[in-house]
Amino acid sequence: MQPRLEEESRLNLSYRPKKYIKKHGVAYLFMLPAIFFLIILFVLPFIEVFKMSFYSVNLLNPEAEAFIFLDNFISALSDPTFYQYLYQGLIWTFGSVIGEYIVGIVTAILLNQNIRGKTFFRAIIFIPWLVPIVVAAMTWRWILNPDFGIFNVMLVKVGILDESINWLGTAGTAMLAVIFVNVWRTFPFYTVTLLAGLQSIPKEILEAAEIDGAGIWQRFWYIILPSLKGVSAVIIILHVIWTFNNFDFIWLLTEGGPLHATETLAITTYLEAFEKYHFGQASALSSIMILILIGIIIAYFKVEKKQNNG
Amino acid sequence: MFKSRKRQKLILKIITYIMLIFFSIYAIFPVLWMFSTSIKPDSEVRTEDPTFITMNPTVEHYQSVLIESEFGTYLKNSAYVSTMTTLISMFIALLAAYTLSRMSKTPGIRAIGIGMLIAQMTPVVMLIIPLYVFMMKANLLDTYASMIITYTTFTIPVVTWMLKSFFDSIPIDMEESAFIDGCTRFGVIFRIILPISLPALVATGLYAFVHAWSEFVLGYTFISDDSLRTLTPGLSLLMGLWTVDWGRLMAASVVIVVPVAIGFVYLQKLIIEGLTAGSTKG
Repeated sequence: MQPRLEEESRLNLSYRPKKYIKKHGVAYLFMLPAIFFLIILFVLPFIEVFKMSFYSVNLLNPEAEAFIFLDNFISALSDPTFYQYLYQGLIWTFGSVIGEYIVGIVTAILLNQNIRGKTFFRAIIFIPWLVPIVVAAMTWRWILNPDFGIFNVMLVKVGILDESINWLGTAGTAMLAVIFVNVWRTFPFYTVTLLAGLQSIPKEILEAAEIDGAGIWQRFWYIILPSLKGVSAVIIILHVIWTFNNFDFIWLLTEGGPLHATETLAITTYLEAFEKYHFGQASALSSIMILILIGIIIAYFKVEKKQNNG
Repeated sequence: MFKSRKRQKLILKIITYIMLIFFSIYAIFPVLWMFSTSIKPDSEVRTEDPTFITMNPTVEHYQSVLIESEFGTYLKNSAYVSTMTTLISMFIALLAAYTLSRMSKTPGIRAIGIGMLIAQMTPVVMLIIPLYVFMMKANLLDTYASMIITYTTFTIPVVTWMLKSFFDSIPIDMEESAFIDGCTRFGVIFRIILPISLPALVATGLYAFVHAWSEFVLGYTFISDDSLRTLTPGLSLLMGLWTVDWGRLMAASVVIVVPVAIGFVYLQKLIIEGLTAGSTKG
């Protein structure tokens, strides 16, 4: 008996990796294709951006590439337009996110009321989110068109405007117009997410507050908003990231114009890379944008923590 | 006292309806206007006095878009790229979602799942420069493959998490008895899980399709050969070509929106719930 037992335990020991593979191998095997795609087209490119920031990149002649350390960053940051585009990018980001949140929460609260036709209204209000950005941009360019666009025609008819305004083509109104279009396309996502959050507030709490004499505003400030804090934080952070880096909307509506009035860092980065072929400097801009975003997110959590403690 | 309260409730209800109607118009008017413009004759499009409903509807814009321009080619390319993206990403995500749902005890699997969520939050534009360089070095610029593999990568995370939360709701008993009967993992997935999950598969498949169908910036950057171009970059270029021909541009827009709209009408509930689940859990 004795030798056999020994042999078995020895076998067991040497077979352990095999046993591990038998038990878990299939999990790794099934995950392999997903991991492969994510590493090749997501993780590696992410690292590549940082790497390229420190090189002078020449796509046509790879041998001319050289490590230039911080030169790309220095030349990006010493360009005064950088700060203008950063500022415009922040206006675009926060203008959009604030607008989307307000429209989103109002529609979510409306849809959470006990009324008929809720599903119908919810479906209608969700529609803008389904419209591809290209189509949304094209349609709004037509609506806001200075010649025969319905928006100007109506405002002139009602008497609000004396004559048509070229909303997207005037430096003073272009940013407002692109923010407006972005809010229209994006708010339904806030609506459905906040609605899900609202539905998790127990009806009894709201009813009790109402009986105790809390008005609509009080209920909104003291019950509804605090209980939406978690969901709100997630969608706001996600949209700050997405909007700050968004290229499609502005590009399709104004291409950053007129006179750079709607140019943001995302647009500059794209132009730097694909019109001037300065891939190194464009990568440095990307890296700077990532750092700015991380900064905004850390600041957000610090403020939130302070609020919770105080 | 009681009466005034009842009256107040009624007023509130009326205000709610008025506001809902207002926001519904805000949401849907541009889409209706797009359609209305696309079926109007040119004389009614370019006028100082436009009407919402035309008395002389016409399909001339649709004809000229689909027959006389490159738009038909774009349509075909988009259909191909979106279908391939859907098939590949569904297959990959199916395996990943099953693993996340049933084998999450295996070391590292959970971390990969969370990694996917983080990846999902990262905007594509940040990666476009290295992706372009990658495609150039791999000789994939101006190929369908460049679009299919990038779209696939960016849809895998969402599709995986949507399917995972669905698989979580399927009781595990059936699979266990199938294992006892000698079924393999693959067998279990294809004979047991897939048939029950059909509605979830359709919804997530539609998500993947619409994502690829609507994508703009990657297709715009990777493709310069007009015969390989997809709809969204195609439309943006036609914009420059047909500057003031709004009837045609709106007809082209309608053609792009229709498949998305049809899918949504059928799957409204599933999609909204899936999205909400994804974002609130994330």
